[in-house]
Amino acid sequence: MGNRIIMMLLLIGAVLGCGGGPKSGSKGKADKEIRCVSLVPSITEIIYLLGGEGLLKGNTNQCDYPKEAQWVYKVGDFQAPDLERIMALKPTVVFATLPMHKQLIEKLQELGVRVYISAPRDIEGVFAEIESVGVLLAREERAKRVVDSLKSRLALVPLFSDSPWVYIEISVAPLMSVGSGVFINDMICRAGGRNVFADLPLPYPVVNPELVVNKNPDVVLILHPGTEPVEVKARVGWQKISAVKRGRVYAHLNEDLFFRPGPRVIDGIFLLARLLHPDRFQ
Amino acid sequence: MKAIEIKDIKFGFGERLLFDRFSLDIEAGEFFGVIGPNGSGKSTLLRLCAGILKPEAGRIHLFGKDLSRISRRQIARTLSIVPQESFFTFEWTVEQVVMMGRNPFLMTFARPTVRDWEKVEEVMGLTGVLELRGKSINSISAGEKQRVIVARALAQEPEIVLLDEATSHLDLFHRLEIVRILVQLKNQGKTVVFVSHDLNEASGYCSRVLLLASGKTLACAQPEMVIKRELLKEAYGVEPVISVHPLTGRPQVLLPPA
Amino acid sequence: MRYKKRLGWFGLVLFLSAGAILEVFTGPARFSFKDLSPIVNFRLPRLGIGVVAGGVLGVVGGSLQGLLRNPLVDPWTLGVASGAALGASIAITAGSGTSLLLPGAAFLGALFAIGLVYLLARGRGGITVTRLVLAGVIVSFLFSSLVMLIMVLSRHTLGEAVYLMMGNLGVVFTKSSAWLFAVCALLAAAGCAWLVFHARELDIVSLNEEVALSLGVDVQRLTRMVFLIGSFVVGAVVAWTGAISFVGLIVPHLVRMLFGPRHALVLPGSFLLGAGVLIWADVIVRNIAPAGLPLSVVTALIGVPFFIYLLRTRV
Repeated sequence: MGNRIIMMLLLIGAVLGCGGGPKSGSKGKADKEIRCVSLVPSITEIIYLLGGEGLLKGNTNQCDYPKEAQWVYKVGDFQAPDLERIMALKPTVVFATLPMHKQLIEKLQELGVRVYISAPRDIEGVFAEIESVGVLLAREERAKRVVDSLKSRLALVPLFSDSPWVYIEISVAPLMSVGSGVFINDMICRAGGRNVFADLPLPYPVVNPELVVNKNPDVVLILHPGTEPVEVKARVGWQKISAVKRGRVYAHLNEDLFFRPGPRVIDGIFLLARLLHPDRFQ
Repeated sequence: MKAIEIKDIKFGFGERLLFDRFSLDIEAGEFFGVIGPNGSGKSTLLRLCAGILKPEAGRIHLFGKDLSRISRRQIARTLSIVPQESFFTFEWTVEQVVMMGRNPFLMTFARPTVRDWEKVEEVMGLTGVLELRGKSINSISAGEKQRVIVARALAQEPEIVLLDEATSHLDLFHRLEIVRILVQLKNQGKTVVFVSHDLNEASGYCSRVLLLASGKTLACAQPEMVIKRELLKEAYGVEPVISVHPLTGRPQVLLPPA
Repeated sequence: MRYKKRLGWFGLVLFLSAGAILEVFTGPARFSFKDLSPIVNFRLPRLGIGVVAGGVLGVVGGSLQGLLRNPLVDPWTLGVASGAALGASIAITAGSGTSLLLPGAAFLGALFAIGLVYLLARGRGGITVTRLVLAGVIVSFLFSSLVMLIMVLSRHTLGEAVYLMMGNLGVVFTKSSAWLFAVCALLAAAGCAWLVFHARELDIVSLNEEVALSLGVDVQRLTRMVFLIGSFVVGAVVAWTGAISFVGLIVPHLVRMLFGPRHALVLPGSFLLGAGVLIWADVIVRNIAPAGLPLSVVTALIGVPFFIYLLRTRV
C-alpha cells in the first residue's frame, strides 16, 4: 500500500513536471524510451521472462506472477482496467486481449496509443507471441533464446501412443466443463489426451452430469477449489466412471498453468503428461 | 344496550391530533347519521369503530365488549363496513365478491355450506344484483359495484352496518333502494351508521345526526336540532337556506343564491 | 362451466405427466431393465428437483401476487434470489464449493435476505405490502451489488454466480446432499400446503387491507406468514437450482385465465403448471438445446409466445 502511494505521488509529479497531456505517442514515434502497460497476465509473465520489467510501467490486479509483478503499479482489474490510469503512465505500447478489452482497445487506438492484441490460439501461438513481445521490447535475441529453450523443453514430452479421455471440471454448481475454442484443449492434445467435451460449441458449457458419466472419462481434472477427489467418488452415479474406479481424479491443480497462454504452459503440459501417463512419464 | 360506545379517544395522523378526548354513544337499532366537511374525521371515525384504526388512548366498546380485546372474526360478525370506493386487482365475479362476506363464518379451509349460499342469494336479491352474479366485478358500472359491496356487507349478517358515503355513486332509484334496505335493517333491530356528504339524505332518514368538524362534535341530536343555520355555518363556512320537507317534515338544506 | 374446469385440470395433469415421461426416458445414456442407473441416478432426481422447483415457484408466485395485490410480482421481488446468490458466491470464493456446502450457504444467504427484508419492512403500523416490496427491491439491489463486488475481488471470474441466476436442474448429488435436498423438498411441500390451506384468506387480502380487516382476516399475521413461509420455501429451492425466471410470474396468470382468481384453484393449478413448464424446459435443455443453454432462457422462450397468444385471444 505504501509502495502504491509513493508510486502515485511519483507519477503525479512526473505528469505535472512534464506538463504533458494524455496524447503521448501520437507524434513522438521517435521516442527511444519504451514504456509498456500490460493488461494481460500471461503477457506480464512473458515480459519478466524477457527481462523487460524495467519497461513495465503498469499491470492489472490479476498479474501476479512472478511475485515481483505484484508490486508494479496497478491500472485496475483484468476485466475492467482504468483508461485514465493507463494514460497517466504515458505508455508507448499497451498489451491487451480480445474480447475482454474490445472497447478499451478502440479508445486507446483513438488516442493514438499503440496496442498489441494478444490472442494465441495454441502452443505455437504462444511461441510466436513471445517473439512478438520481444520485438516490441527491443529484446528479439533474448526472445529467440527463450522460445528455443521452451521448445526443447517441450520436446522432452514424448508423443504418446494412447490418448486417454479427460474430463475437465471448472465448476460444480452448476456443473461446468471446457468446450471447444479454449486454449487448454491444445495443451491436452500435446500431453497425449482428449477432452471429452471438445466437440461442444461453447467454451465453458454447463453440462449434464448424466452426460459426463456417459462419456466415461479416463481422467478427471478438478480445476476449481473446494472439491476433493473423495467427493467426486461420493457423487451419486459417478462410481461407474473409469477415472473414479481407478482413482485418477486430480484436484488442487494450479489453474494458472492451464488458463494463461503464457510461458508456463510448458509446465502445464508437463503436469498434464504426468497425470495422463503416470507410468510413462515423470 | 349501546351498540357503539366511544370513550375519550385520542387519535391523529402523524403530529396532528384529530380526535382529542372524543366520546360518542350510538344506541342499538338507531339509524345514525354522520355529517361534516371534508377532513372532519367522518371516515376516520368509522374506521376506528370497525377496529381498522386503533386509538392512541381511550376505549371503544361494541355491545359492551372492548374492541381491542375481541378477535377480528368476532368484530367481523358484529359489524360490517361499506367503504366509499373499491378496487379489485383480479377479475372476481360478483358472486365471489359477495361470498367473501361469509368469511367470518367459514373456517380456514372450509367450503361454503348451503346456509352460506342461501344467504348470498338473499342479499344479492335484496340489493338487486342477482342478474349480475356471473359477471366480472370490474365490468359493471360504479353504481352496480357499490350495490355488490353493500350485498357483501349484508352477507356478514352484522348487527351494525357502517356506510362511508356508500350512496354517492348511485342514481336516485338505487339510492332509494339502498336506503330502503337500510331502513328495513333498522326495523329488524340492526344499527346503521350512515356517513353522508348529502345533508338531506342524512336528515331525511336518520333518527340522530352527528355534525363533526375537525374531530369535534358540533352537535349530536335529532336532525331538527342539528340542521340549523348557525351550526352549518360554523361547520361548513356557508350559510345555507333551511327548509322543511313537505312530506316528512324533516329539515332540508338548500344552497344559497350564488 | 364445470366441464371447463375438469378439462383444465386434466390438461394440466397431462402436460406434467407427458413432460415427466420424456424427462425420464430421454437422454444421452442407454438404459435397460437390468441397468436402470441412468434413470435412477440422474433423471429421477432431475424430475424431482424440477417438480419441486417449478411447483414451488408457481405456488409462491401466485400467493405473492395475491398478497401484494400486484400481478407483476414474482418470487424474486422480495430479495430471496439475490440472497441465495450472495451466499453461493461467498461459498465459492471461500473455496467451499462442495455439493453440500454450496446449497447450504445459498440457503443461509436466502434466509439472511428474508430476515433483512422483514426488518426493513417493519414500521409504524406493522408490515405493509408497500414496505415489503420496497424493502425487497432495496435488498435485491444491495445483494446483487455485493455479488458483483465479490466477483471482482475474487480470482475467479465466477461465471458460476451468473449461471446461478439463470437456473439449472443438473445438480450433482452426493448421498449427504441428496438427503439435504429431500429435507428441503419436504419443507417446500409443507410450505406450499400451508399456502393452499389459506387460499380463501389470500383471496380476501388481495382486495384491500382495510376491507380484509373488516371481513375478519388478521392481515398482519397473514402478511407476515405468507411472506416468511413463501420466501423460506423459495430459498430452499433456489439454493439448489439458482433463480429460474418467468415461471413464478406468468404461470399463475395462465392458471387464472383458466380457473378464475380463486387461490383455492390457482395455487394448486400453478403447482402443476409450474412443475410441467420446468420439466418440459429441462427436456429441451437436455436434448435439443446446445450445451449450456440456461433454463431461464428456455422457460421464457416456451412461455412468452404462449402467453401472448392467450393475451390476444382471451383478454
